[in-house]
Parts: sequence; C-alpha cells; structure tokens
Amino acid sequence: MIIEASNLTHDYNGDIALNNINLQIKKGEFVCLIGESGSGKTTLLSVLSTLLKPKSAQLKFEGNDYLEIKDIDTFRQKNIGFVFQFHYLINYLNLFENIQLANNKASKDEINQILERLGIKNLAKKFPNEISGGQRQRAAIARALINTPKVLFADEPTGNLDSKNAKIVFDLFKKLSSEGMTIIVATHNKELAEIADKIYEVKDGQIA
Amino acid sequence: MLSMSLKALKANRLKTTLIYISLIFSITSIFLISSISNGVISMYSNMLKSDGDIIITQAKISDTFFSNVDINLIKKIEEFPEVQKTSAIIVGASPVESLPIVAVYGVTSNRFFNYKLIQGSYPKENEVLVGKSIYQSLKNKKSIQIANKEFLISGVYKSEIGFENGGVVLNIFDASTIFNKSASMIMINSKIEANLKKLISKIEALSSTIEAKSTQNFVDNYNQFKIIKTSSNLIGLISFCMGLLGIVSIMSITINQRKTEFGIKRAIGISTKKIVTQIILESSILGLFSFISAFFISWSILYFIKSSSLFHGYVNGEISSTLALYLFICSISMAVLGSIIPALNASKVDPIILMQGDKI
Repeated sequence: MIIEASNLTHDYNGDIALNNINLQIKKGEFVCLIGESGSGKTTLLSVLSTLLKPKSAQLKFEGNDYLEIKDIDTFRQKNIGFVFQFHYLINYLNLFENIQLANNKASKDEINQILERLGIKNLAKKFPNEISGGQRQRAAIARALINTPKVLFADEPTGNLDSKNAKIVFDLFKKLSSEGMTIIVATHNKELAEIADKIYEVKDGQIA
Repeated sequence: MLSMSLKALKANRLKTTLIYISLIFSITSIFLISSISNGVISMYSNMLKSDGDIIITQAKISDTFFSNVDINLIKKIEEFPEVQKTSAIIVGASPVESLPIVAVYGVTSNRFFNYKLIQGSYPKENEVLVGKSIYQSLKNKKSIQIANKEFLISGVYKSEIGFENGGVVLNIFDASTIFNKSASMIMINSKIEANLKKLISKIEALSSTIEAKSTQNFVDNYNQFKIIKTSSNLIGLISFCMGLLGIVSIMSITINQRKTEFGIKRAIGISTKKIVTQIILESSILGLFSFISAFFISWSILYFIKSSSLFHGYVNGEISSTLALYLFICSISMAVLGSIIPALNASKVDPIILMQGDKI
C-alpha cells in the first residue's frame, strides 16, 4: 500500500468534515473520489496529500507514519504532486518559470519535455493570464509532474474545463497510472470517473 | 531568488510603492532629525575647538549662557609656560530689529580673525561686526540696537561655522557692559608638548569658582549637547517605531493578500525557509532602495536649509558616515522586522488554508 488512512477525522470549528474514514490505496492505482460539493472530498485529498493536518488519524505513506516525517516540505516535493480545480499558477511568472519553481534542479530539457508532453511547449514564455483555462490546467499538471511524484492528487481538475479538455486530462491521468504513478482524483463527474481503477463515494464526510 | 523577489515586488506594485514611501518617510525623518542635531552640536563644538584645547567656565553651571568668569584670570594663565594663546568670549542673545533672537558674541580682539571680513573692518569700541545672514535681513545697514544701546556696523563677516553667520560680534568690553558679566568662557591654546591634565589642575588652582576642561571633554559632557542628542535619539526612535508599525501593517496586508501564493508554493514543496527568505530578500531590496532615496532626499533638504537665508545659518545638518551606516542598518532592519512577523505567521498555517483564503 502506498497510502493507508485509519480513523481519519477532521472538523472545521466543530463542523465535521471527515468522519472516521478508513482507506487504503495501492501503488499505481487510479482512484476517483466522487461526491457532491461539501461532501468532504477536498478535505480528504488535502489530508492525504499533507496539505492539511487532520484532527485525528493514523496515516501511513509507504508504511511510514506521516507524523514521523520531519521535513514535510521536502517530503511533499519528492513524493506528492497536486493539481487544483483552479490552476493556482503564480501570475507574475511565465509557464516555464512556474514549472521551474516546483523543481529548480530540473534542467531546461526536462521542463521542455513535460511542456511538450502536455502540448503547451509553444506557450512556455506566456504568462497565466495570456492563455486559456485548459492550457493553464495543463500547465498546472506539468508543474505537478516535474518532480515525478509517487502520488498525484487532483481536486476537481476538470471543473473549469470543457468536455474535450476534461477528457484529455483524464486520459493523461490514466496513462500516468499505467506508467506506475498513483493517481487520486476528486470529481463530481461520474462519467469521467469511470476511467479509474477504483471509485469511492464520499458522502457527509464518510466513504459510502 | 533575487530575480523572483524583483518579479514579486513588481507584481505587487501598489503595495511595494506604499511600503517604499513609508520607509522613505521614516528614514528621511530620522536622517533629518539626527543630522540637524548633529549639525548644531558639530557647529558649536567646532567653534569651541577652533579657539583652543582647554575651556574655562564658571563652576557648577548648567549652561555656558549663565557662566561668568573673571577675564583678569587670562593674565595669570598666560604666565604658565605651557600656554601659547588665550582668548575670551561672552555668549549672549538679544533681539535685533524684527528678529526676536540673535546670538551676540563679545570676543577678545585676538579672536576677531575667526570671522572672515567680507566688507568693512573689525569693530572698535561701540561698533559691531555682523554676520552675513543677519546683514542681509537688516533694514538699517548702518547701525543696530542691542539692549538699548546703539552700535555702528563696522563690517560684515562670513564664518565657516554656519550659525555664527547669524550672529553679531563685538568687543568683549562692550558685551560685558550689556550682559553684566566679565566673560562666559576663557579658551586656552596649549603648546604641543604641554601636559593637558597638569595644566588644567594648575588653572583650576587659580580660583575655586572656575572649572577647566579639555575642549573634547567639555563637548562630550556639555548638558545642552546631551539634551539635543537625547531628544534627537528619542524622536529618531519614535520615527523608527512609527515606520516599523506602518510597515508591519502594510506587510501584513500584502502577505494576507499573497497568502494564496504562499499556499501554492508550500503545496508544491517549496520549503517554508525558502519562502521566508524570499520575503526577507524582497524587504531588504525595498529597505536598500528606500535608504538610497531617503539619503538623497535628506541631502537635498539639508542643502536647501543650509542655503536658505530664512534660517540665518542656525540650522545646518550634517550627514556623517556613522549616521548613514546606522540608518542603513535601521532601514534594512525596519523592512526585515516588518515583514518577518507576518511571514512567520503565514508559514505556520496549513497550505490548503492559505490557499482557501483564511486570514493569517
């Protein structure tokens, strides 16, 4: 197992967001979390990806306890990639610099290869506000992939995309999964989720 | 990282400008307060230092303005073999025409040569030599009245010591009549080989009502200088604190508005240390540019003040290298301290919370 969560509970000022969740995800698995807005998908992804400390849980990454990770930033950089619903690119950096920001050791060729794979190499010098929503999202995926993470998390990555671009993104996830990368995606699009190896429905902070 | 910091500063133009202006105001005010008070102290101490290495005043008085020393002591002092030259001065003040207060220097004739004549001749009895700045503002350029006594203007002088140009110089015996004292101070030039400590002891043995000090010791311990220095340090400190508060507020707002950016950076694995370092670097760049701007603004203001006839040479700022260094450190500290607190606060928040927009 690459990720194991037991008795995962979290609340926001008393409002329960996650209620005693138990989850196991295998290495290279493509998992989709589906559920309505407010069901707890984003909170679950945030906790599993170390972006949010849960109120209580037993969390393991490749068998090691999350709490034992001393340098969480380096851990995140080496192991985790995250794609958000909104692209969250830095506006004052161009696409090349945005990707370089995530890994300043990456060579120019490595960055160009990632950009090429996502079909946006010609936009490397463009700034986020100069390109379309789909292109921004692909740039955000490129940024998440530059560190070749073990697990790629994506929270509603197609929320702002048309169906054509949404399909491109999910196809890419499927390909990455087949290459051995673990993919965990939160989406409310059940049709797109069908492509995943496993689907979990999150409802009222619990896995239904 | 430098390029990233410059881009971030450029991207947040409005806030960058606000912080830049706040810093310039604070640093310029500290510059002006400190340099003007330094200038006043320096002008007065230069005046004293140019006349000797020992100063005699009345014992146990707080200000030379109130000092009264018997001028006849000069004769006894001149008998000491270590003494090369002596002079005496009465420092007083009086209204002159529409000017409410003008410094009046009653000096021994051997001190006249400190005042470079640009017109006329040195004063004889019942005559005065007036400073260049005062002369320009006088309506009657032939005579002036000091304490109900009319004095003819014998000439006009220019002094290297700014505020002396705003004064009136006359014979010490005339000044003695006006101010009802013998001398405010006696200044002594000793011979190079003289032992100052021994000479001071010998001078003090001449009268129990006098106090002799080396000029340096006098300048270092003069109460008025201490008051000016303490006041300027205090006002400087208040300016620093106000500047700091302003910067902390603006930096907090800036960082609060950039919390998403910090959240993203942390989410993609950039270390907190790196993020905080970048904020410090951004602040330091702002501090550096603010310091340079404030230095030139202060220099221009001081030049204007020095050149303006409005101040009669009394206000003469001096930016020393020590003051510049001290303010350079202050500028960087203000910017860094102002940014590090909100930056550290931001670093403690979970990345996802920062990205969702909760307040730091």
